[in-house]
Amino acid sequence: MLLDRRRALALIGGGTAMLAVGGRAGAASLDKVIARGTLSIAVYRDFEPWSWREGDRLRGIDVELGELLASAIALRAEFLELIPGDDVAADLRNAVWRGSVVGQAPADVMMHVPVDRQLALANDRAVILGAYYRESFAMACNRDRVPDCEALPPAFKGRPLAAEIDSIPDFYLSSVSGGMLRSDVHHYPTGPAAVAAAAGQEADGVVATRAQIEHGLLAARDRLVQRKGPLPMMLSPGWNVGIAVKDDSRDLGDRLESVLAALVANGKIPAIFERYGVVYRPPAEA
Amino acid sequence: MKRMTHFIALGALAVAQAGGVTTLSAQSGAGPTDADLMSSATNTGAVLTNGMGPRGQRFSPLDQINAQTVSRLVPAFAASLGGEKQRGQESQPIVYDGTIYVTGSYSRLFAFDARTGEEKWEYDARLPDGIMPCCDVVNRGAAIYGDKIIFATLDAHIVALNRNTGKVVWNKKAADYEAGYSMTAAPLIVHGKVIYGNSGGEFGIIGRVEARDVNTGELVWSRPTIEGNVGQLNGKDSTMTGKLNASWQGDQWKTGGGAPWLGGTYDPETNLLYFGTGNPAPWNSHLRPGDNLYTSSTLAIDPDTGEIKWHYQYTPHDGWDFDGVNEFIPFDATVNGKKMKLGAQANRNGFFFVLDRTNGKFVSASPFVTKTTWASGYTKAGRPIYVDSNRPGAPTTDKGASVFSAPSFLGGKNWMPMAYSQQTGWFYVPSNEWGMDIWNEPITYKKGAAYLGAGFTIKPLYPDYIGALRAVDPATGKIMWTYKNKAPLWGGVLTTGGGLVFTGTPEGYLKAFDAKTGQELWKFNTGSGVVGSPVTWEQDGEQYIAVMSGWGGAVPLWGGEVAKAVQHINQGGSLWVFKLPKS
Repeated sequence: MLLDRRRALALIGGGTAMLAVGGRAGAASLDKVIARGTLSIAVYRDFEPWSWREGDRLRGIDVELGELLASAIALRAEFLELIPGDDVAADLRNAVWRGSVVGQAPADVMMHVPVDRQLALANDRAVILGAYYRESFAMACNRDRVPDCEALPPAFKGRPLAAEIDSIPDFYLSSVSGGMLRSDVHHYPTGPAAVAAAAGQEADGVVATRAQIEHGLLAARDRLVQRKGPLPMMLSPGWNVGIAVKDDSRDLGDRLESVLAALVANGKIPAIFERYGVVYRPPAEA
Repeated sequence: MKRMTHFIALGALAVAQAGGVTTLSAQSGAGPTDADLMSSATNTGAVLTNGMGPRGQRFSPLDQINAQTVSRLVPAFAASLGGEKQRGQESQPIVYDGTIYVTGSYSRLFAFDARTGEEKWEYDARLPDGIMPCCDVVNRGAAIYGDKIIFATLDAHIVALNRNTGKVVWNKKAADYEAGYSMTAAPLIVHGKVIYGNSGGEFGIIGRVEARDVNTGELVWSRPTIEGNVGQLNGKDSTMTGKLNASWQGDQWKTGGGAPWLGGTYDPETNLLYFGTGNPAPWNSHLRPGDNLYTSSTLAIDPDTGEIKWHYQYTPHDGWDFDGVNEFIPFDATVNGKKMKLGAQANRNGFFFVLDRTNGKFVSASPFVTKTTWASGYTKAGRPIYVDSNRPGAPTTDKGASVFSAPSFLGGKNWMPMAYSQQTGWFYVPSNEWGMDIWNEPITYKKGAAYLGAGFTIKPLYPDYIGALRAVDPATGKIMWTYKNKAPLWGGVLTTGGGLVFTGTPEGYLKAFDAKTGQELWKFNTGSGVVGSPVTWEQDGEQYIAVMSGWGGAVPLWGGEVAKAVQHINQGGSLWVFKLPKS
């Protein structure tokens, strides 16, 4: 009963940002993390340039962003590395509102959640908010082997093209122009592995997320060139990336959302992106 | 991974002799041998193998419990798996030497006293936090050999325990759970080798059937199920599976799926293993033209070398998620006046197949569910006659192109094993009547990125039932009788020389039917849904029946109209044992 009343109050508080930020109105989750002194943050495992391990060290844009968020509300960041499930709904269940099937507790907040109305409606136990970046798919070509990275898809027939297995870049390359590039697609376990293939000897071109391409260019600008024009018939126009909290932690979500906005405005978030070679793009208006 | 070298002398055992059937005469601390496992189908004093015999017929000649006496069947005892860990109990008990061994949800193994139900020991696999089992935390059973009891875990390890103490003898990682692999099937032991298939990780993987030395856990051979990949034998590369790029384009063969996640059967007569393979990846068939061998197939494999002797593909170029993993059960019958060595499989795709088990040649395919929208039948050569308009569209087409397809991707029959009666010559198939709306879903997300998924809604075909236990005559493909059940059937079947067929229901009942007529003769409510496989054996001159109770598995994970049929079923986790009262 008490819990219900507190939640109702928190929801009312959520309507006015100041009240939620103040955290006085029975803000269960925000009070709890502040009392605990730590903010547990779920990030995807093996997800360069967002969150991955270099040796023992966990690094990446989402990791630094998480640390920044935690310290902005005077908390210590703790990371939970998430193995992705079949879809983001499974990830929200494991990392945000229920915990894993073998009993691992969920995190306070999950990074890198697509901000999409349909996704939010289908996953009402999580609150998705705080868009901090605009992602989309892009292409890069090996400078030595591809004369024109701006050419139309049929021009790439016969050239090995790299993509992450079971991703939109994979489906795109396998189906564009009636599937004529299908036997040229080389599959890799991750986007960065596909970018590395095009920077090395294995592939002539790669389609991956824009962040993966730009991050890959950081170390391979002499070998890779990014396509400037759009990819014809690309299946996704791009999406906003944000955070998610559990439905009873809306006050925490609101607080983090306002912190994110402040960190974008003062340039601290764009500076993180820059360090990883990724051009900061603000989320598109809905 | 301490190696246990206990020698445990066991007390004298009461060995029953009954009605001309053999019972294992030398039950001792040495435990079951290869020969014992091979003859386990006729050893009524024990249940030594998953499937009650290497062929997996799930037939026992025992007849103390029969059409006349079954109405008096009562519980002898029940044993709880305890704790907060309940969920689906899909295990089949192993019974040997006064002990019942059952695996439980969350990769646990229990040893219960077969006379009292008291727990002797329990083993809890320590599962890592990151495991991602696709469809509940089930396990389907263990394998026994010598002093060991062996099972597979959700984090894709094979664990051998001392069957007297529950202590680990060896524990081997079969696959990487972080890459999405998992294991739930009961292993098969043939010629001193533990043989199993990998599961999970539908993308970026290829299926493998593997054999390990039962004493050490070391890998003996590994056979990829997708053509173009090279197998292993004794630590060296062996032969390529099929022919590179014969039915795949580009490098898709490196990640083509085909996981044989349900394990296999073995026929001592032909010396062949029969393993079914999963559907191909990626899911959208328009992205992978060709038959995509050997997905959705049965592979006949040499148990000593891992060489494929023949294959039959049930659903070439699958586009509906029709796994071919179901058990292939060897049986003999007369076809057109000729005595033949055959095998049968009831497939996800709704057809009941009979093949020549010596060479994989197609004999017949007949529907065992009322609706198969994707194909109108099979040609004489054994190719499906596709209904092209029922294939889900290319990913570039609009969401609007939704097709209604039956069976649903959960199959005319899912994992739950059927049984073959040597008495009636019929198969007893636990099937489900459901279809699905399936369409391309342009706005989905995976691993933080936009993704093109499939949207689907599973729908019952009839308002009054989904589950249908069917007797199928393999000679004609005819359905001899049907028992209809409101909720989908998800448990295995047992048939006996007493003229009976046993199976469980999600509503909680273990039920007995007349094998000839399908008339329901007995039922008992176990308190939670039954999704395990019943067994029978004889002990101290009495016939026993045992089954696991505990609702779960894949069905509760899917919502929609199916959820209405199962919403009032509670969780559990118990072994139930039945016998006739002493008069």
